[in-house]
Amino acid sequence: MKKSLAALAALTLITAGCGDSGSETSSDTITVMAPLFGTAPDPNGELQQAVQKLIGKKLQITWVPNADYSEKTNVTLASNNMPQAMVIQGDKQSAFVQAAQAGAFWDLTGKLDKYPNLTPADPTTGKNATVNGKTYGIYRVRPLLRSAISIRKDWLEKLGLQMPKTVDDLQAIAKAFTERDPDGNGKKDTYGLIVPKWPGTYASSSPYDVIETWFGAPNGWGERGGKLVPGFDTEEFVTANKWLKNWVDNGWINPDFATLDSANWNKPFVQGRGGIILDVNVRSGDLVKLFKETDPKNFDKVALAGNLARTDGQKFSAPFPGYNGIVAIPKQKVKTEEQLDQVLQVLDKLQAKEGTVLLTNGIEGRNFKLEDGYAAPLDEDNPQIKVINNDVEKAFIQLGTRASVGLGAYPPKPADEPSRKLVVQRNELATEDLKTAVHNPALGVVSETYIKQGKTLDLIIPDARIKFLSGDITEEQLRAEIKRWYAEGGDKVAQETNDLVAKLGK
Amino acid sequence: MATDLESPPVAPISPAPPAAKARRIARHGWLYLMLLPGLAYFLIFRYWPMYGLSIAFQDYLPFLGYSDSPWVGLKHFEELFTGSDFTRLMTNTMILALLTVVFVFPAPIIVALLLNELRRRTLKNSIQSIIYIPHFLSWTIVASVTYLLFSADFGVIAGYINDLVGGPRADYVAQEAWFRPIIVLQLLWKQTGWGTIIYLAALAGVDTQLYEAARVDGAGRWRQFWHVTLPGIRPAIVIMGILTCGHLLDSGFEQIWLMTTSLNRSVADVFDTYVYYIGITQGSYSYSTAVGLFKGVVGVLLIYGSNLLAKRFDERGLF
Repeated sequence: MKKSLAALAALTLITAGCGDSGSETSSDTITVMAPLFGTAPDPNGELQQAVQKLIGKKLQITWVPNADYSEKTNVTLASNNMPQAMVIQGDKQSAFVQAAQAGAFWDLTGKLDKYPNLTPADPTTGKNATVNGKTYGIYRVRPLLRSAISIRKDWLEKLGLQMPKTVDDLQAIAKAFTERDPDGNGKKDTYGLIVPKWPGTYASSSPYDVIETWFGAPNGWGERGGKLVPGFDTEEFVTANKWLKNWVDNGWINPDFATLDSANWNKPFVQGRGGIILDVNVRSGDLVKLFKETDPKNFDKVALAGNLARTDGQKFSAPFPGYNGIVAIPKQKVKTEEQLDQVLQVLDKLQAKEGTVLLTNGIEGRNFKLEDGYAAPLDEDNPQIKVINNDVEKAFIQLGTRASVGLGAYPPKPADEPSRKLVVQRNELATEDLKTAVHNPALGVVSETYIKQGKTLDLIIPDARIKFLSGDITEEQLRAEIKRWYAEGGDKVAQETNDLVAKLGK
Repeated sequence: MATDLESPPVAPISPAPPAAKARRIARHGWLYLMLLPGLAYFLIFRYWPMYGLSIAFQDYLPFLGYSDSPWVGLKHFEELFTGSDFTRLMTNTMILALLTVVFVFPAPIIVALLLNELRRRTLKNSIQSIIYIPHFLSWTIVASVTYLLFSADFGVIAGYINDLVGGPRADYVAQEAWFRPIIVLQLLWKQTGWGTIIYLAALAGVDTQLYEAARVDGAGRWRQFWHVTLPGIRPAIVIMGILTCGHLLDSGFEQIWLMTTSLNRSVADVFDTYVYYIGITQGSYSYSTAVGLFKGVVGVLLIYGSNLLAKRFDERGLF
C-alpha cells in the first residue's frame, strides 16, 4: 500500500509546483536542455568555454542521457524549471504538441526569417518539422536519406557473392550466411540479418519500416484510392512482413530479434554471428572502427549497399524525415518578445558557420585541422584532446541545428582507406536512392484524435508486427489487429489526417 | 505493527475533563514532541502531495497548472473502465498477484521452518547470510542476468534446455507463455531469503518451555511442529498476509518493466507499468493519475478487507 501511495505521490509531486516563475536566470546566462550520448561535458571544459566566448553568454546546459530523454522531457514540462531553449525529440508526440498548443512554447511561425541561420535551409524539411502549419522550434538537420545495408565483406567474398541490388539478392545472401558457413569454422552458428528490439513506434525508420518501403508500402502515410492511408493498411505491408517472416522461420535473422538490446546491435556483427545490418549508412563507419579495434591490420570487412529494388525491379527507397527533433523555446522563462529575440539571436550566432564548427568539429587547430575541406583529427591520444572530442561527439553536436550528426560543418577526414571508401560510397548511394525516395506527405500533420489517443494506438501495429514475425499470431490476426487500430480511434486519425493534409496543401 | 508499541494506559480511559486532558498532555510532553517529526513527515511527504491527485479529474496541462486546467469530472475513469486496456491490465495484475500469493508468499515461511530445524548453528547462520544476498541486487541486474541466461541467441540455460529438448531455440525471455513463470522464479530467487527474516524472528520468539512441555506429553517432531511452532508464528503469517494483500496490485514495477518486450506485452502490462508508460513516457498526466488513483483505492480496500477477514478468524489483525 505504502508503495502504491508513494508512486502516486511521486507522480503528483512531479506535476506539482507550477505557476510560479522560479528564480529568474540572469540575462547573461542561457539555459539549455539537450540529450547526451556519453559522459557529460565539464562546464569549465575547453569546448564549452570556446562556445561561450563565441556567443558572448554563459551556457548552463542540462545534459540528459538519451535513453531517458523523453521521460525527462515530460517531467520537465510539468516542472517550474524549464530551460530557455530545449531540444524536443518527440516533436510530434502528444505531450509536446498539447503543451505547445496550450502555449507553453513560443510559436515561431514566421518569426525565424529574421535569423539567417535559424530559418529553415530546406523548405521541405521545414514543413516536415511543423505541427499542422505551426513552427514550434528550429529543426535539427539530418541527412534526408540515411537507410543502407552494412554487410560482412569478407563473408561475401568467401562465399563468392555479389552485392545485393534486389530484395531477392539480399535473401540469397542471408540464406548463404546462415547455411554455407561463412566464417569457415565448420559449425552452423551464423545467421544473416541482425535486428534489435526496436523502441520506436510504426514508421520510426526501423529495419521493418525500411523493408516495407522497399516492397512499395507507403512511408508512414501514402495515397491509396485517392486518400491517405497509414502504410500498414496496404497489401504491400503484409507482403513485406510475410517475406521477412520467412527469414525468421528459416533462421536467417538473429533469434532474439524481439529482445536484443539496441546497445548491443553491433556485437553479433563484429563477433561474427550475423552478417547484415539494416540501419543508417553511418553505421558502416562505426563497424569498421570496431573491427579495427580488434584487428588493426585486417579490418576491411564492411561493405555498404543502398536501398533495394523489389522482385519486379521497381525501387522504392526509405528516406528519413530530414531532421531529428527540434529546439523549442519554452515561455516559462522567456516571457516577452524581447527576451525571445535575445535567445534567438544567441542561437543564430551559435548556428552560424563558426558556431557549427565548434559544435560539430571542435576547436580548429586544437583537436582538428582542415585538410582539403575535411576535418583531420589532431593529437588524438592526448587526454585533453580526448575530452574535447568526447564533448563534441557525445554532447555538443546535439545542439547543432544547421550542421549536426552526419552533416557536420566539415566532414571528418576518414581515418583509413576502407573508411574513406565507405564515406564516398555512402554519399553516392544516398544521392542515388534519393531519386526513388518515398516521402511521407503527412509528416507535418498531427491529428487531434492522435494527440488524445495516440498513446494506446501507437503500440498496436509494432507489437502485432513483431508477433506476426515471430509466429505468435497468424496473418489473419495481423489483419485483425490493423482493423482494431481503426476501431480504437484510428479511423478518426485517418480522417483528420486527410483533412489536415488537404487543408495545409501538399 | 505500531499497535505493538502501544504504551500501557497511564490515565483512566473514562472521558476526562479538559483540564485533566491538558495535564495528561503536559505530563507526556516529550513523547508528543517526539511524535512531531514523524507526523510532519507523513503530512508533508505523504498527505500534502495527495492534493495533486486532483489532476485525475482534470485535463491537466502543466503550462496551465492546477488552477487553470479544465475540470472534466470522471472522464478519465470512464476512459479507463470502458477502454480496451482495462480488462487486460486487471487480468494480468490479478494473475500475477495470485501467483505471488500461491508461490512467493509461502516460500519464505517454508524456508524459515526448514532453517529452524537445523541443529548446527553455524550452518544455519551461513545459509541465512547467503540467501539474503540476492535481495541486495537491483532488478536491473536480475533482469540482465535473466536475459543472459535465457536469451535465444547466446543464453546458457536456453542452450542447455535446447540440447535436452531439441528443436528450434525458444526465446524464453520473449514468449508470452514464459513471462509469468520467469517473473515468479525471479521473485523467488530474489526475495525468499530476505523474507525469512521476519519468520525466523517469530520462530525465535516461540517459548522453548512449550517444546519441553510438548515433549513431556510425548509429542514427536511433527506434532511439535504442528502444535507449537506453527501456532507460534501464526500472528506473523497473518500480518504478512494482510500486508501482501495490500500490495496485490503492486506488481513490482521495475521487474516487469525490464522484462517486457513487444512479444509478451499482452501478458506483461500491469497497472504499474501502464501508469509509467502513459504518464511519464507519453505525458498523459491526468489519465495515468486516474489509473494510479484507482489502484490506490483498490489497495486500501484490499487491506481493510483482509484485516477484517483476519479478525473474523479470531486473529488480532493489523489495526
